[in-house]
Amino acid sequence: MMDDNVVDRSKDITILELLDRVLTKGVILTGDLVISVADIDLVYLGVKLMLSSVETMEQLKLGKARLKE
Amino acid sequence: MDILIFALVLGRENMGPLNARLEGLKGPAETGLNTLCFREIAAVVGEIPKSGLNTDRDSAIAYAAVIETLVQQFTLLPMRYGSAMESEEAVLGMIGRNYNEILDNLKKVEDKFEFGLKVFCDSVKLRTEMKEKTEAGALLRPPVIPAVSASVFREYVNKKLMEHRLEEMMVNYVDSIIAEIKVCLSLMNAVTKFRKALSEAILIDAVFLVQRQRKSELLDAIRLLQEKYPGLNLMFTGPWRPYSFVDVTIK
Repeated sequence: MMDDNVVDRSKDITILELLDRVLTKGVILTGDLVISVADIDLVYLGVKLMLSSVETMEQLKLGKARLKE
Repeated sequence: MDILIFALVLGRENMGPLNARLEGLKGPAETGLNTLCFREIAAVVGEIPKSGLNTDRDSAIAYAAVIETLVQQFTLLPMRYGSAMESEEAVLGMIGRNYNEILDNLKKVEDKFEFGLKVFCDSVKLRTEMKEKTEAGALLRPPVIPAVSASVFREYVNKKLMEHRLEEMMVNYVDSIIAEIKVCLSLMNAVTKFRKALSEAILIDAVFLVQRQRKSELLDAIRLLQEKYPGLNLMFTGPWRPYSFVDVTIK
């Protein structure tokens, strides 16, 4: 039943959502204040993250992923 | 060494408990953490090599873990991964220059959580159902275009018109779901952000900022929404730190 599964705590989803937030949101330092991380690294990691989420997204789209605590 | 900033924390009175909580915690560079305080705002920082921080999954998770640990006790604004400056003095100067804006944002998110809602659907199937089920049989019937001699042209125009109308129906459908969510949340004094039609699979990507004590109300509202739209798949996640509601860019 959906009641038990509405709150998604499955580990993969949690990590994807967490990484999406950490990498793309939050307080931003502009310009040359950010000195330690190359943009290309973040883009690469973002792409990897996106690719690994495709399968999960497909399952969710088709309603096949039943989310478990 | 450079200084990696994890979060900006509210409250000078929190310094003692904050420093105690940081004991033994380490960031992605495996260095210890400490605080830099400017009036009512403290930055949680750690040293990283001048060569930079590894940008990989484990490092990002380690970074997020520090924030997740602290938010159990403190109001904070999470920094985007990789936010670093060349010295502690630079960090303090940055807080000073942006003090009012940072403080306003901290007060905005005090005692609040962020939750995420993604609405998934099989949009091909949904479009087909829309075409078949609704009275839109009439709406989608090709109009009579008089005096057009070229049947190929007429067919093309009719096809485009039908596609446009179906697209319009999809947009209206998504807007109706968003309107329903907003009505539910209006009673909870929630701040909301929506992104629509991100892909064939994701109809809506929404985030909500609500008071901690209203979490169960929000959950109930989402459950009702799922019951009302059994053909959609709702993915509700949280609580998160207020990553999506940080409206400050540091200069």
